Amino acid sequence: MNVKFLNPFVSAAHEILSHEMHESIQRGDLHLENGSYQTDDVTVIISLVGAVDGTVFYSMSKEVAVGLASVLMGEKFASLDRLAQSGIAELGNVITGQASMKLAAAGFESNISTPSLIIGKGATISTLEFPRLIVPLTTSIGALTIHLALREGIQQNLKTPQLEIPKVDLKDK
Amino acid sequence: MDAKLLNPFIQAAVEVLEAEVNANISRKEISMQNSSLTSDDITVLINLVGDIYGVVMYGMPTKTCLNMISKILGQDCTELDSLAQSGVAELGNVISGRATIRFAEAGFKSNISTPTVLKGKGIEVSTLGFPRIVVPLETQFGVLTVHIALREKKPGESGNPEEFISLINAPLSQKGS
Repeated sequence: MNVKFLNPFVSAAHEILSHEMHESIQRGDLHLENGSYQTDDVTVIISLVGAVDGTVFYSMSKEVAVGLASVLMGEKFASLDRLAQSGIAELGNVITGQASMKLAAAGFESNISTPSLIIGKGATISTLEFPRLIVPLTTSIGALTIHLALREGIQQNLKTPQLEIPKVDLKDK
Repeated sequence: MDAKLLNPFIQAAVEVLEAEVNANISRKEISMQNSSLTSDDITVLINLVGDIYGVVMYGMPTKTCLNMISKILGQDCTELDSLAQSGVAELGNVISGRATIRFAEAGFKSNISTPTVLKGKGIEVSTLGFPRIVVPLETQFGVLTVHIALREKKPGESGNPEEFISLINAPLSQKGS
């Protein structure tokens, strides 16, 4: 994955979390993963479509999700109810939106999708042939991990299916 | 949700399944759900952005998935390996791509994202403020369920999902400039 897609996300996450939480955020060591991702308790999934194509995940434990939602919305949550869920989804949305503006400023204009929230530990999420760049962030509430599975977009117009299905002729076998 | 958002997906799904796996499809009762989706074994998730935006999910049990992939690839798939996963992702991709072509013909331009494959039963997937239309399609390979959570961009609306729920007072001041 191109490293120029990384910095916009790291700086967007840093700006937004620091601003909301009034503290500085620590970034851990980056690494690249090829296999699929085993979900943590809460995962926000947002896709990018355009000059940058792919998917971004924000994963965290339930405690961190509840804690972050409480800080972001200025209201103490006891559990991850609907409002807390939408707060976490919105956090992913705001970070991704900010990052996509930075990407657009660098010449990579893309649209971001609406967020989907996955709740449940231990499921497997595959981004197929996209390797994932893992960005661990540490806040006073706990750890938040950003997974970036992005690449430069191939087409900017209406998309036709991208991956070719290998057709096997049964007679050859 | 409008039927005009629904029909292109149902038609595309039926056409693609008929063409790719020779499926005999009977549509079961369509329902609308507001709560989050509880995943089946395999869920392919594809987002739409543009004049029509939201998320479409294709859920199925492992057996249905393997049966269909075996048929598509013309070889026996017994395990949900990376080939089978990319096959099922591609199936979702082709159906969604075809549906967006129909939307484009009707004057709604939208793009689809790359597919994401979620494996694991009983996981909650929330589409937040979007209600979901659930369309179960029964084939000889098993049931494939299409979940459609889409919205049409209103005139004057940017269609930017940032306006979707505005709860956080984030530093977005440079946005308007």
